[in-house]
Amino acid sequence: MKKYTCPYCSMGFASVEGLKEHVVTGHPSEPLPEPEGLVSFTVNGRKYSLSVEPQWTLYYVIHDVLGLTGAKMFCDRGACGSCTVIMDGRPILSCMTLAIECGGKNIETVEGIATKKHPLIDAYVKHHCMQCGYCTPGFVTTAKALLDRNPDPTEEEIRAALGGNLCRCGTYPQHPTAVLDAAKTLRKG
Amino acid sequence: MMTMAEKMKGDYEKIRSDGQYRIGPDIPTITYDAIGRRGITRMDGYEKASGQAVYTRDVQIAGMLHAKVMASPYARARIVSLDTSSLEAKPGVRAFIRFDDQEIKGKMLNGSYFGPEWVCPDIAGWALKPVRPVLGDEAWYEGQPLGLVVAADNEDVAVEALSQVKVEWEQFPFVLDQESALAAEAPVLRPDAKDNLLADPRSLIEKGDIEKGFKEADRVIEFDARRSAHFWAGAELPSVLVRWVGDKLEMWVYQQQPHHAKMLLSEALNLPMNRITLHTPYMGCSFGGRGNPANNSENGINILAAMLSKRTHRPVKLTYSRREAFFGESGDMMSSHFKIGFKDDGTITAVDIKNVFAVYMCTPGVEHLIENTSIPNIRCQTQTADVSKGPAWWCRCEQLPNSFCLTLLFDHVAAELGLDPTEVALKNDGYEGKGKSHLLEYKKKYGFPEVDSLKECIEAGKKAIGWDEKWHAPGARKLPNGRMHGLGFTWNHEWDDVRGTASAAVMIENDGTVSIIAEHPDIGVNPWTAYCQIVADELGLRVQDINIKPFTTDSGFALMSPDGSCNLVTNGIVVRKAARKAKTMLLELAASKFEGVVPQDLEVKGEHVFVRKDPANRKTIREVVAKAMPSFVSCAFWTEAPVVAWAWHTQGLWGAALETGRPRLCRQAHFVEVEVDTETGEILVTKVVNVNDVGKAISPETVEGQMYGGTYMGLGRALTEELIWDQKTGVLLNRNLLDYKYATLVDYGPIKTLVMESGMGHGPYGSCGIGEATSTEIPALLSPAVYNAIGVWIDDFPLTPDKILRALGKA
Repeated sequence: MKKYTCPYCSMGFASVEGLKEHVVTGHPSEPLPEPEGLVSFTVNGRKYSLSVEPQWTLYYVIHDVLGLTGAKMFCDRGACGSCTVIMDGRPILSCMTLAIECGGKNIETVEGIATKKHPLIDAYVKHHCMQCGYCTPGFVTTAKALLDRNPDPTEEEIRAALGGNLCRCGTYPQHPTAVLDAAKTLRKG
Repeated sequence: MMTMAEKMKGDYEKIRSDGQYRIGPDIPTITYDAIGRRGITRMDGYEKASGQAVYTRDVQIAGMLHAKVMASPYARARIVSLDTSSLEAKPGVRAFIRFDDQEIKGKMLNGSYFGPEWVCPDIAGWALKPVRPVLGDEAWYEGQPLGLVVAADNEDVAVEALSQVKVEWEQFPFVLDQESALAAEAPVLRPDAKDNLLADPRSLIEKGDIEKGFKEADRVIEFDARRSAHFWAGAELPSVLVRWVGDKLEMWVYQQQPHHAKMLLSEALNLPMNRITLHTPYMGCSFGGRGNPANNSENGINILAAMLSKRTHRPVKLTYSRREAFFGESGDMMSSHFKIGFKDDGTITAVDIKNVFAVYMCTPGVEHLIENTSIPNIRCQTQTADVSKGPAWWCRCEQLPNSFCLTLLFDHVAAELGLDPTEVALKNDGYEGKGKSHLLEYKKKYGFPEVDSLKECIEAGKKAIGWDEKWHAPGARKLPNGRMHGLGFTWNHEWDDVRGTASAAVMIENDGTVSIIAEHPDIGVNPWTAYCQIVADELGLRVQDINIKPFTTDSGFALMSPDGSCNLVTNGIVVRKAARKAKTMLLELAASKFEGVVPQDLEVKGEHVFVRKDPANRKTIREVVAKAMPSFVSCAFWTEAPVVAWAWHTQGLWGAALETGRPRLCRQAHFVEVEVDTETGEILVTKVVNVNDVGKAISPETVEGQMYGGTYMGLGRALTEELIWDQKTGVLLNRNLLDYKYATLVDYGPIKTLVMESGMGHGPYGSCGIGEATSTEIPALLSPAVYNAIGVWIDDFPLTPDKILRALGKA
């Protein structure tokens, strides 16, 4: 019985030794194969290759493994937007996304947005868009994704974009003001 | 001249005497620079906006285990047998504790903290409910943590482990609502009790003579009202992280009252308080919801995590999921019967209320009528029933029944007479059965500003909502879009200081910057900026040179926890006292470094100490306080003698404030405009106007934030927030934020906030609290607004579309 399969050409072997000899002689210059569960993606401009378990969410990987704690667990199941990150330009719920499906993706978190000194951060502080602050990063990432695709949004468009983010402290009226302010700063360059 | 008694005073007596609140207005002795100014950068702003603010849920320590507690699937049941053999060899499981473990068996949550004793399990709040075991075998409500706790390498393993144990349950009859619970045939829920009536020390409140009051009345009305349960549902989920360092305990807690938590832990674990360090990271909401140290989700998880950590010699983090966290409502469930007598001009002569609460209540419903009105004859009878629901706890806030009763009562009277409700409010404004003239006398006697706060609030609010143009008879205005238009109004006093004790130190660092030293849990109300504003103005320094890092109980000093809207009132005074003392020390030190001056000749502004008569003669604060030793006398560098001063302040214990004869002088008024769709039953809130006389707004943006937040929470409670139990099984059906709906950015129309500053608060600079007032006032306001729209009273909260349609005869 041929229990061992060559990861490069799928040829079968009965023993590990046989497979080893085949790989060394048959595929001497090929790169090492990626182990099962290894996922590579970019977070805030840095490349990561991580072994992830199939049930791990992107939230878990970002928050617990990479230590980027700006993504928050609030509702626990895709209802609040606090774990929002930007993936290939779209705001997505990292708690509802499996990490194993994120190979090759470009991901931006609130930490990346702050490091780049995006004007949303200053605008959010200036306009008191936070009370307890737990949901704030989710609003910032959602608003950043909006401004990336629409640099001059109307207040109505901002309200619609942020309508899926929950804030129990009720800071809502301050957000459109801050996003409009940040958009203005961005346009000024 | 000091009296002999004063001369006899030692340090302790002096500190205690200096820290006592005394009646009187707080007239500022300084020029405001930071205080009251807009545009001051929030202390916590960048951390929170950039995702760098750390919450307990975010903290990890190398090697930490994850713990989960089992929950009851039944409303009332007992564990007959628990087979945990599957856990013995399960990979990744590191420890578990069963309810019959010798160390946990019989261990009780150690009670409520509010009372005359160290712990008083029987005096207040949900502690009336006998859900006390830290890890028991009997469930009094579905979802109750009990039976088993598991620590494992990760959360998935812990959850799986709990699902694999075999439990045999014995179920018992349950009862869900208060009226059924008090019926003769109801199953008795507590062991050894004869019925489900819970002892309530405030079951009867009487003022004046109601029979006389009804006789004096031109009219008498009666009606019923009802409130279902809502839940605070904070953003962060409950968790605790524990590690032992030798015989010392280090914990990261998500608790509103960490100092109390430390005292309770010390008792529960028989561990001296000085061996416990609590870290208090940022908190993802609380509103009082994380302010019940006696609950399973606080005291309970702390004890379990500490025990598991001890057994495994590993750090342990115990977490609740959203589903697990979904119990414990806000002390809401009540049914009321009102009987009110009043004269034709709107003067209320008698109020008789019967309230039946479920599980919990400490505010019977008429306290604001006593504290706030000239109504002379009042009676309130309350009953509190035990039901098969989770523990309730006061949450933004326990005054909900009082506000509920005041709003409905006043608006029903106005409607019955066809009067403008703002006029009825003004007619009955007062204090303890006496009218406005009594309030005015009080203001004069103590030197408070003589402002008619309610009148000013009402006038400002009416203008902002367009009251005079829009007010109409009930059901009289149909809009072009087919919906019915309605307006609502309510009022109350502001939440003032009724409790609070705090200590804090102010230290000038070697470089001239200032640190406020004290533990304080952040629940988002931006208090730290306010403290820094106060210290800056009192010292004469720049606000950006003041800082506070209140993330641990180890500093020894503890500011008043953010409870009861007393946060700023108490803590503002204590940091001010410490700042004034530190300033005196600074000027004494500085005088020794100037030629021929005494401290009184000096003043501080910005970064400098200068001679008043010769401002050019100045030194930086850094020059004054920096190391003055000429050489390396010591290798520890500090200020010459440290410029650090501490203070203590108490603003009065719960309930005692009223006994000192301090009427609340600041008022609030709220207005709402709605459209009711009579086809769908939908209520659209198109505009809200909040008017709060906060006395003095230290941080205006923060005041506005509290009013916005309170409005959204209040509207949710009035319209969409409702815990729904399955009547057949007693299971809570909507344990998630998709089915339990609170406000989003797009749900309601604009909110206009008006901040009045009469200077009549009992807090620093004449301020008073703002955190809870709006969220507590708004909910009942929707009923008069809907009545004004459709001409039918629906006093059954929340006001969901089905109730509207039923009231209109369409369902």
